[in-house]
Amino acid sequence: MERKEAIRKFLQTLLARKSDAQPFSDDASLFLSGRLQSVDAVALAVFLEEKFGMDFAEMGFDQERLDTVNAISSLIEESSNARR
Amino acid sequence: MSAPDPQSADNQSDAPQTAPPAPRPFSFLRGFRVIPRIETYPWVVAFAQTIAGKATILALFGLGLYYATWLHYLHNPRWKVQICFLVVVTALPEYRRIVLVLGTICWAFGIWWQWAEHPQIIQAAISLVLAALIFSLAIRFCTSWFGRRPVATLLTGFALTVLLTSYLPRGGSLRIMSFNFLPVAGAYLWFLAYSLIDISSKNRDSVALQVGAYQPIWGSSGTPFPKGSAYLRRIEAKNPEQLAVAQLKGLKLLAWSLILDVFLEYVYKPLVHGYLGIPYYEFVFHLSLIRAPFTWYIGWASLIAEFLGKLVEFSIFGHRIIAVCRMAGFLALRNTWRPLASPTIAEFWNRYYYYFKELLVDCFFYPAFLRYFKKWGRWRLFASTVAAAGFGNAFFHFFRDLNYVDELGFWRALAGFQTYIFYTIVLSVGIGISQIRQQNSENKTETKNVGWIRRRLIPPLCVSGFFCILRIFDYTYKRYPISESFRFLAHLFNLVS
Repeated sequence: MERKEAIRKFLQTLLARKSDAQPFSDDASLFLSGRLQSVDAVALAVFLEEKFGMDFAEMGFDQERLDTVNAISSLIEESSNARR
Repeated sequence: MSAPDPQSADNQSDAPQTAPPAPRPFSFLRGFRVIPRIETYPWVVAFAQTIAGKATILALFGLGLYYATWLHYLHNPRWKVQICFLVVVTALPEYRRIVLVLGTICWAFGIWWQWAEHPQIIQAAISLVLAALIFSLAIRFCTSWFGRRPVATLLTGFALTVLLTSYLPRGGSLRIMSFNFLPVAGAYLWFLAYSLIDISSKNRDSVALQVGAYQPIWGSSGTPFPKGSAYLRRIEAKNPEQLAVAQLKGLKLLAWSLILDVFLEYVYKPLVHGYLGIPYYEFVFHLSLIRAPFTWYIGWASLIAEFLGKLVEFSIFGHRIIAVCRMAGFLALRNTWRPLASPTIAEFWNRYYYYFKELLVDCFFYPAFLRYFKKWGRWRLFASTVAAAGFGNAFFHFFRDLNYVDELGFWRALAGFQTYIFYTIVLSVGIGISQIRQQNSENKTETKNVGWIRRRLIPPLCVSGFFCILRIFDYTYKRYPISESFRFLAHLFNLVS
């Protein structure tokens, strides 16, 4: 839950930069719907690298897998399992 | 490089704003639209889902495609093929991707390569088989060093093949065959790159569906419209309502492209080049090349007229392709969206040629940012931007025009490419600086309180001015040295006669 909260908080910051204060669920599409863009994907990738130690150079970068809170959370889970 | 995407997929017209709306004059015109947002009217969407509605939309779209063809006195049968495809794909939405594959293959071998300077069907067939083979090999060896860098491996392999081919003896049959084949393979290169990116997806498409996105039936250039198979999978209409909305948006976009076309042909060109007598840019540049005199203000007028005219032409080109794509049930974003309103250089580039920018982001920017410049700290974004908008852009254009490599040889063609290389350097540095400025301004609250003129008018004017002047160097034909472009620039400032 804490992980999802951290992700949600960061996504809210990104949306706030675009004056987008609309709420979003854990399954709501953010990139494919156009609410967030490629510059935000880069910011999100840096956040995930720093906060959760993810390495996109190793695991590959797919914007679709960053599209929702749930998808990001699963990706982090997958990444931490792979590191163990 | 990674500036905001031009439009939301859900609402094409309501693009995400990078800043809060400022008070503006003529705000009463804000809700005005040349073409109403019919896709938001429930009764229109409901009607578009009926057989009569679909038939009406298809008939109107066919009429529009016919008129667009007639407007340019073309006798190209492509509009007939496209409308037949759209009828089938509308009737069989559950088989959309399969129909797309079949349509694309018919298009490639019946129209696209058949209508080339000389038919290149064999080369196209070999290219597709080779692409399928590379795709399968990349899946098979996805854990190897090359397999983890499939796009870099593909591009390096293609560049080396071109380099080696340029050393084959002139007039030899192997060289002739190779330079007949390589441009065709090059036309599929970036489509294959998107397929290779899709390999890491959990639910990647099969090789057959990937091929359906290679030079698809709605048309394309070397730049994949709209990206690759993975993108099509994501933006495909999932139910009748989404299909209706996509088709209504497609119809609207075609209508808009026709309005722009009529404006360009019957208003802009007669007014600018006829009534006002502003010469075409090519003509004025030619005068500069042969050292014939012309006044500096004529140079400026022709450059600005060229810049604005090409913007409209380019919008029409992209709108036509995306309109057919949307009619097929894929809710793709527009290629060009209000570039003249861009407040930053990065945003202009994003709005001007969205799918080329996306190509460079996917093939160069992300790999550079996430893999190669990880330890560059605050320079990471800038370096990755230069890698994509600079190196990637130059790479794309150099290997697109392989006839020059055949004609001049590899190294002389590269030397002749100096003007465009300069263009990509200035462009990428401009975009990089623009992004850094954008990031800094996001942290400053006081900049948000500036007035409409400083916020909405001056930045777009400066940005458009930058791209207008840079157009002098947007030259890929390798026919004259960069000094001629600088000479023309000096002429604009009345520094040379």
